[in-house]
Amino acid sequence: MAVNTKLLSLLFLIATVSASFSDSDSDSDLINELVSLRSTSESGVIHLDDHGISKFLISPSTPRPYSILVFFDATQLHSKTELRLKELRREFGIVSASFLANNNGSDTTKLFFCEIEFSQAQSSFQRFGVNALPHVRLVNPSISNLRDESGSMDQSDFSRLAESMAEFVEQRTKLTVGPIQRPPLLSKPQIGVIVAMIVIATPFIIKRILKGETLIHDRRLWLSGAIFVYFFSVAGTMHNIIRKMPMFLQDRNDPNKLVFFYQGSGMQLGAEGFAVGFLYTVVGLLLAFVTNVLVKVKNLTAQRLVMLVALFVSFWAVKKVVYLDNWKTGYAIHPYWPSNWR
Amino acid sequence: MAALESPPPGTPSAMRHAFGNVLSVLILVLIGVLAFSIRLFSVIKYESVIHEFDPYFNYRVTQFLSKNGIYEFWNWFDDRTWYPLGRVIGGTVYPGLTLTAGTIWWVVNSLNIPLSVETVCVFTAPVFSAFASWATYFLTKEVKGSGAGLAAAALLAMVPSYISRSVAGSYDNEAVAIFALIFTFYLYIKTLNTGSLFYATLNAIAYFYMVCSWGGYTFIINLIPMHVLLCIVTGRYSPRLYIAYAPLVVLGTLLAALVPVVGFNAVLTSEHFASFLVFIIIHVVALVYYIKGLLSPKMFKVAVTLVVSVGLVVCVIAVGILVALVASSPTGGWSGRSLSLLDPTYASKYIPIIASVSEHQPPTWPSYFMDINVLAFLVPAGIIACFSPLSDASSFVVLYIVMSVYFSGVMVRLMLVLAPAACIMSGIALSQAFDVFTASIKYHLSGSSNSTNDAEDNNSTNNAPKDDASASKADKSEETAKERPSKKGKKKEREHVVDKPSVKSKTVKKALVLPLEASIVALLLLIMLGAFYVIHCVWAAAEAYSAPSIVLTSQSRDGLHVFDDFRESYAWLSHNTDVDDKVASWWDYGYQTTAMANRTVIVDNNTWNNTHIATVGTAMSSPEKAAWEIFNSLDVKYVLVVFGGLIGYPSDDINKFLWMVRIGGGVFPHIKEADYLRDGQYRIDSEATPTMLNSLMYKLSYYRFVETDGKGFDRVRRTEIGKKHFKLTHFEEVFTSHHWMVRLYKLKPQKNRIRGKAKKLKSKTSSGSSSKSAKKNPWI
Repeated sequence: MAVNTKLLSLLFLIATVSASFSDSDSDSDLINELVSLRSTSESGVIHLDDHGISKFLISPSTPRPYSILVFFDATQLHSKTELRLKELRREFGIVSASFLANNNGSDTTKLFFCEIEFSQAQSSFQRFGVNALPHVRLVNPSISNLRDESGSMDQSDFSRLAESMAEFVEQRTKLTVGPIQRPPLLSKPQIGVIVAMIVIATPFIIKRILKGETLIHDRRLWLSGAIFVYFFSVAGTMHNIIRKMPMFLQDRNDPNKLVFFYQGSGMQLGAEGFAVGFLYTVVGLLLAFVTNVLVKVKNLTAQRLVMLVALFVSFWAVKKVVYLDNWKTGYAIHPYWPSNWR
Repeated sequence: MAALESPPPGTPSAMRHAFGNVLSVLILVLIGVLAFSIRLFSVIKYESVIHEFDPYFNYRVTQFLSKNGIYEFWNWFDDRTWYPLGRVIGGTVYPGLTLTAGTIWWVVNSLNIPLSVETVCVFTAPVFSAFASWATYFLTKEVKGSGAGLAAAALLAMVPSYISRSVAGSYDNEAVAIFALIFTFYLYIKTLNTGSLFYATLNAIAYFYMVCSWGGYTFIINLIPMHVLLCIVTGRYSPRLYIAYAPLVVLGTLLAALVPVVGFNAVLTSEHFASFLVFIIIHVVALVYYIKGLLSPKMFKVAVTLVVSVGLVVCVIAVGILVALVASSPTGGWSGRSLSLLDPTYASKYIPIIASVSEHQPPTWPSYFMDINVLAFLVPAGIIACFSPLSDASSFVVLYIVMSVYFSGVMVRLMLVLAPAACIMSGIALSQAFDVFTASIKYHLSGSSNSTNDAEDNNSTNNAPKDDASASKADKSEETAKERPSKKGKKKEREHVVDKPSVKSKTVKKALVLPLEASIVALLLLIMLGAFYVIHCVWAAAEAYSAPSIVLTSQSRDGLHVFDDFRESYAWLSHNTDVDDKVASWWDYGYQTTAMANRTVIVDNNTWNNTHIATVGTAMSSPEKAAWEIFNSLDVKYVLVVFGGLIGYPSDDINKFLWMVRIGGGVFPHIKEADYLRDGQYRIDSEATPTMLNSLMYKLSYYRFVETDGKGFDRVRRTEIGKKHFKLTHFEEVFTSHHWMVRLYKLKPQKNRIRGKAKKLKSKTSSGSSSKSAKKNPWI
């Protein structure tokens, strides 16, 4: 039982805890306690604090009869969406639930899914040497030094969420997690209620359609929908969704500067797409405004002013897109004049 | 041209009308010439050859068709490919393109014009682009009058997205399919506007042609039902809608099932179910309207509840059957590509092979600028113009643009389907803008709107040389004004929505003007925008999309270099090998080898049998001896590799090698991708793994490469190769093309059994000291 010297402050506690158990009995006691803790949580993830960590990880002598997979959470960082803590925590719960659902028998007592929360377990964070989140650590039965980082998950193990986490667990523990069982989007009673509502509502909807007074008879709705889909597509939003592109990047050389436009035609950033999509759309909208609405205005000066603004904006938008396109793709589009003109 | 109710002859307006018609015919002819000639850059810059890979297959099929006739073609079992499996060509190709070109060839030859099959194939795509732009004219004319039609046709004639698939030599399905697509839509709209069963029948036949030509026909059979449903839901049901839709589904599906490659898919796969569902719905709705006409309003109210409930029951049963059918198949009856359109993240999650193809990537915004250029700016204006007023026809084109723009956002390849829609919309927008601006200028110049005849004629002739599209704008305004009453006469129960604005616009027209100078500036800017479009399209046609990829050129300081290595080596194959010899190569070159060298290949671009491809991939990734055994078991005599290291041709076999490893490893697990990577990196220099350096592909690519410059510097990978001096034991080099781009190797004949015995004896006596020299050539 090699206790880190920095943890002298906890030595007393540990000593008392470990002294109160004799080896073989204590193992099964610990497992029973973990199992009962696990049964209290819905997904099977045990919530531990400093006390629990020392009780289940530090005090029992190695090799422990179980592995523990620890998820390091921090409520104060949940607001930072780029860390994806909430999402990962949810996926972690799904892995745990699937593990429990797919295994029954002795295997379930060999691996426990735990989480610790920063504000409740600061010293445990120190003890594990965790300074950056997201972090998931597998503590094998044989690991005695908690600072040993060999059991931590890489970024690549988070990439496909629950599936890749399960692969990681299967690789390291030689246990099988089995197929990931995600909870259905809607539970059965919810589906039932929705179906019932639809069935009840259909006659009324059909009646209104026959009368012709629903929202779908509103032409402006269709118009704005069509324009929106157009804007959405030419902005390359599907590309951003499929590739999960960020809205902007941080400049590598100067972290304070943000990069909004990416050079090279195979990729685009979110903000860039929306900006150009807006430029694509605005010209047509202005043209339509001038030809459909402005002609009906009686005041000549107003017409003149609005037209000037519209023309200027359109000209600028087209020029900007041409410039951006040449910059991004590096094409040099040129006309072919007769050779004696040069 | 335009089937208009012309005013009584002799009046000046009738004269002007006749003049306008003649002018639009002339403009259409010019547009056709433009569409044809802008696609000839590939012939002018290179030569009259078939391009790339798939067109070579189509060309070969067309050759077979023209030589052996239609029945032989229909039953053709091709033993030159997928050896030893072969392929049933007649039942696995979309025959539209081949039959079209074959017919053209037959007609031309029976007129005693001796064109070769290749010439016909090369020029099929440009000819059909001209047809497509005319079809666009008719379609847009049905929607918004002939002015918009001419503008749209001119835009489509040179839209880069379409040029990329239809330059001279690019003899592929899309070449004729885009014409078929637009023409089918035109006939649908025509039927919808006229309610004529004649056009409905034509529509079904056009749809049949589309099914023959391209797998993209599913777009039609989903878009039209969607439009019908939209019309019904928004209360636009009319008997014309019924006539436009019901015959199309019945006849169209029957005809589609005649095409062998579609067959019973036309009724069994989910892509077609939407049309059947809407078919049921439209009958229910038609019944409701029929009963409504029979009964008094009060009786109808009673009846409607009855009919609705019966209709609901029928629908629920039908949906239940469909759901049961769909649920019984693993992908829900949808093909992977269709599914990835509905759920864009589907392919990237589950089907890496679809996700890996570059055509299936989602485009970024520059793709739109490259492929539809300034049309991207004009489309929103066109959408808005279609909403004022909204008719059945204009709602269809709005639906078309919305669907196609969404699909193009998922897969860059579908930009091709978007292009016609964008042209139609932009044509409508341009036409409307020109209308408003020229009308304002005319109004201001003449002072009063009544005596504008002279100004108008001047205007149209002045504009003509500047821009094809703008020329017709002047006469468009009154043409549409005439057309509307004429249309109204044909369809009496046409909704009052259309009539009102036309009446209104006549009375309020004088007031609808813009300031003179602003209009002139706006007009100039629009013309500049059009000019920019023309410049871009010509540049794209000349520079970006006309390379045949079978002949390569590069411009350097000392002039133009032509790399004709592919044809050189295919010619070598056809002249120096036996007719029945089998040639193994990666599948990319399969079509070209069968078409140009007329030799049997193991795999080709029709990647229908993954195991077979994996076998070849495994052979290429194995060491020499194992590879020899695999190839020998497939009766292969020659191995062809494409190598770009000497001249820097990046799409060579070494760059594709990891795919061979992956595909091979997918079926034969002893091939592991990790063995070919050093720390996850693909490299061929001295850091490369031994497995990589010993693989057949490496050896065949770099054999004797060091003799070229003494160092073995690979100009694609920009590094010196890892293993420079080595001998081949089981293969011998028989041909290397001028720039080393294609290298051909022959499998050494199987060793004589006697030799093995002799060797054993020898090694017993002299403990293998001289075995090395004996291995090389035992007979010396």
